[in-house]
Amino acid sequence: MKHLIALLILAGSLASAAIEAREPFASSYTPRVAEDVVFRGASVLTGTGEPVATTDIRLSGGRIAAIGVDLPTTGARVVDAAGLWLTPGIIDVHSHLGDYPSPAIQATRDGNEATDPNTAQVWAEHSVWPQDPQFPLALAGGVTTLQILPGSANLFGGRGVTLKNVPSRTVQGMKFPGAKQALKMACGENPKRVYGSRDKAPSTRMGNIAGVRAAWAQAHHVMQERERAAAAAANEDIAAAAATPGVPPPAPPAPDLAMDTLIGVLKGEILVHNHCYRADEMALMMDIAKEFDYKITAFHHAVESYKIADLLAEAEICSAMWADWWGFKLEAFDGIDENIALVDAAGACAIVHSDSPVGIQRLNQEAAKAMAAAQRQGMTVTEADAIVWITLNAARALGIDAETGSLEIGKAADVVLWDGNPFSVYSRAQQVYIDGYRYYDRNDPDRQPRTDFDLRQTVNGGAL
Amino acid sequence: MRLHLLAGFAALVLAGTTLADTAILGAVVHTMAGEVIAEDSVILVAEGRIQAVGSALDVPAGYSIVDAAGKVVTPGLIVSNSQLGIVEIGGAATTVDSRVREHPLGAAFDVRYALNDAATAIAVNRRDGVTRAIVAPQPGNDPFAGWGVAIRLTDRDILTSVDVGLFGAIGAATSSYVGGSRSAVVQRMRRGLEQAQRYRASSYNPGPGDFSHADLAALKRFRGANVPLALEVHRANEIREAVALAEDFDLDLIVLGATEAWQVSELLAAQRVPVVIDVLANLPSSFERLGARLDNAALLSQAGVQVVFTVGDSQNARWLRQVAGNAVANGMEHAAALESITRIPAQVWGLEPGLGTLRPGAPADLVIWTGDPLELTQWAERVMIDGEWQDTSSRQTRLFERYRDLSSGNFGYR
Repeated sequence: MKHLIALLILAGSLASAAIEAREPFASSYTPRVAEDVVFRGASVLTGTGEPVATTDIRLSGGRIAAIGVDLPTTGARVVDAAGLWLTPGIIDVHSHLGDYPSPAIQATRDGNEATDPNTAQVWAEHSVWPQDPQFPLALAGGVTTLQILPGSANLFGGRGVTLKNVPSRTVQGMKFPGAKQALKMACGENPKRVYGSRDKAPSTRMGNIAGVRAAWAQAHHVMQERERAAAAAANEDIAAAAATPGVPPPAPPAPDLAMDTLIGVLKGEILVHNHCYRADEMALMMDIAKEFDYKITAFHHAVESYKIADLLAEAEICSAMWADWWGFKLEAFDGIDENIALVDAAGACAIVHSDSPVGIQRLNQEAAKAMAAAQRQGMTVTEADAIVWITLNAARALGIDAETGSLEIGKAADVVLWDGNPFSVYSRAQQVYIDGYRYYDRNDPDRQPRTDFDLRQTVNGGAL
Repeated sequence: MRLHLLAGFAALVLAGTTLADTAILGAVVHTMAGEVIAEDSVILVAEGRIQAVGSALDVPAGYSIVDAAGKVVTPGLIVSNSQLGIVEIGGAATTVDSRVREHPLGAAFDVRYALNDAATAIAVNRRDGVTRAIVAPQPGNDPFAGWGVAIRLTDRDILTSVDVGLFGAIGAATSSYVGGSRSAVVQRMRRGLEQAQRYRASSYNPGPGDFSHADLAALKRFRGANVPLALEVHRANEIREAVALAEDFDLDLIVLGATEAWQVSELLAAQRVPVVIDVLANLPSSFERLGARLDNAALLSQAGVQVVFTVGDSQNARWLRQVAGNAVANGMEHAAALESITRIPAQVWGLEPGLGTLRPGAPADLVIWTGDPLELTQWAERVMIDGEWQDTSSRQTRLFERYRDLSSGNFGYR
């Protein structure tokens, strides 16, 4: 019970933080009024690592209210879930939906501000087109929460945003209340290719590192200047008394939106999500984080995490990985199918991500492939382990694991009801709940959201 | 006559010393020749071919016995419209031989001379049960992309047949090569096929923008050969244009991509035009694909269209299983989906008779699976090509072995 109260308080403070702070583009998301639901006799994977169990689950007031056998059903809609599976809502920590929407034409390509290697001042949320038809496709795949990141052309690509996968006219209406923003950083081939081809720094990996270190050094410098100026402004008398006669007090530094982002990281308000493929480059980035005293939350793509899984575990850095993508570029050449399981086995935080509007529709299948690849090699990996890769560990990396990511009493009722074992290729999400509201139902056309763009030129999209 | 008969024969002679006659017992066998043998199955392989398949057959003396009880056997998987062997790393331009960009080579381009037996992706995909691939050029500067070949996913002598199809595309990508209109793409294709009919080198003097001698000679050769025209087309009206073109010039057409094919399924069925599709490509990702939907394959199959599956990434031909599985999840019959990665591609591309099936006389390409091959939680245990068990290690498994135990401190080169 204590646990429940703590979670509710935390959830409340997360929600109110967004309302109280006069932040720009604040979340305007409000949960829809949700009915009470009891799922009767579902096969449940809680996302906490517990093995699958047949049990009931009650959703109430948008929260997981009870888990157990033979729950009372008073006041609840009852779903006979015998033979069906229940998991937490799927979370994708690496998506570009809305920033690279369908249709993908020049007019819609808004994911990379590739005009300077440091564009920490841009925010991915400002490119999100809420009418991207890819959002409801991801919803039909069980995705309830997703992080939209800027692309990887730049060393500092800008800020990422965590969204609830709900229909909305505005991006503010999708923003996950209380979730921290991300800083997208990138190692390796992309920045050096984009700028090297323009005869501009960086054109090498050492140029990448120099550019990253220069920015962090500058961020510390500006942060100190701002702190001095703030202290001076806070106590003008002391500042005046301390001032050398004839020397004016320090002027506050000029506004700098890019520095706002980097300083936000140094203060722990923004989480670093670092695109990085190769093990050796991840190790360099880990040293830079130590040098400049910031935390890397997750390496993304991380196809070589298996080579340094012990180092990642020690540094408590998550790896967001594909199940089996490899070889499409040289820095992905050493990708192996066992990567995710090896990272998990080393005690590091393993996540399956999509980085793809196709892959995001079936992260459960991607997790299935990663699980099977490990089993094929004789490793012990269960469905209970694999579901964590696309739920709770993803929530951890977004800093929202107290609110969602697992089926635990008091947490948000972000839930997927599958028509079979979610690791079967034949299973599909039957119902998808966000904060207890049934946003998707495969058997109810009124609960299959369609964006404005999905309204076709013809009534049924070309007619059968 | 197709080269594959000769090439196939040569390969058998080369591999002959290591071929053992084999009996595979007890699996659930999907012959793809009309039956599933679930009880007491026996597959006999001799001299690189399926000798017999059935229930409770006698096993001749001297055959090596493979116990496959509890397993599933299918023919090897066949991927279509792949770049296996002609692209090593997509993002590394010097390893990409699938298209010609600046040099004017369209219909005359042929991928056969760049085929790399040692391409890393061959072993990776063979490990997951892919045994054959149609290797196709990609459009680079002309609506006609050139000629494709068929390969087997062995360690050497991979080429099994040339001239499996003349490839091309109608759509936004190729319209940029001809001034910017899809109409110009179709007009150029029609003009080329017409000119090829009466082409003579001595009397043809091409001007700017005209077909080169090489391209017209290639189109002339195409018109005289019994080879399909394989066009990537997505929008329904353009699929209709492609069908009309094939009808006017009396060509066998295969539609690749075929995103909106479900809208013209009756036409495709009536004209016996097969489609090659990636089921997972369900995004309205361009204005040519607004009609994209997950049940495209199911709708086409139900309408009687021959459906062949491909994947969105040549490095991962192994995704064929996932593509087929998702087709089933979205309404296609399981048996039909399995056919779309075995028997039908072999037939559509005119591969060696019997390929894609386990009927007697067929080349012995087969896979022993731990269970339902379309389930991603199952995997390939053994892979046979032309009667020879294949190595199922890959560069990836070697990396795994090197790093599976980090506590050893031994990472190979230290």
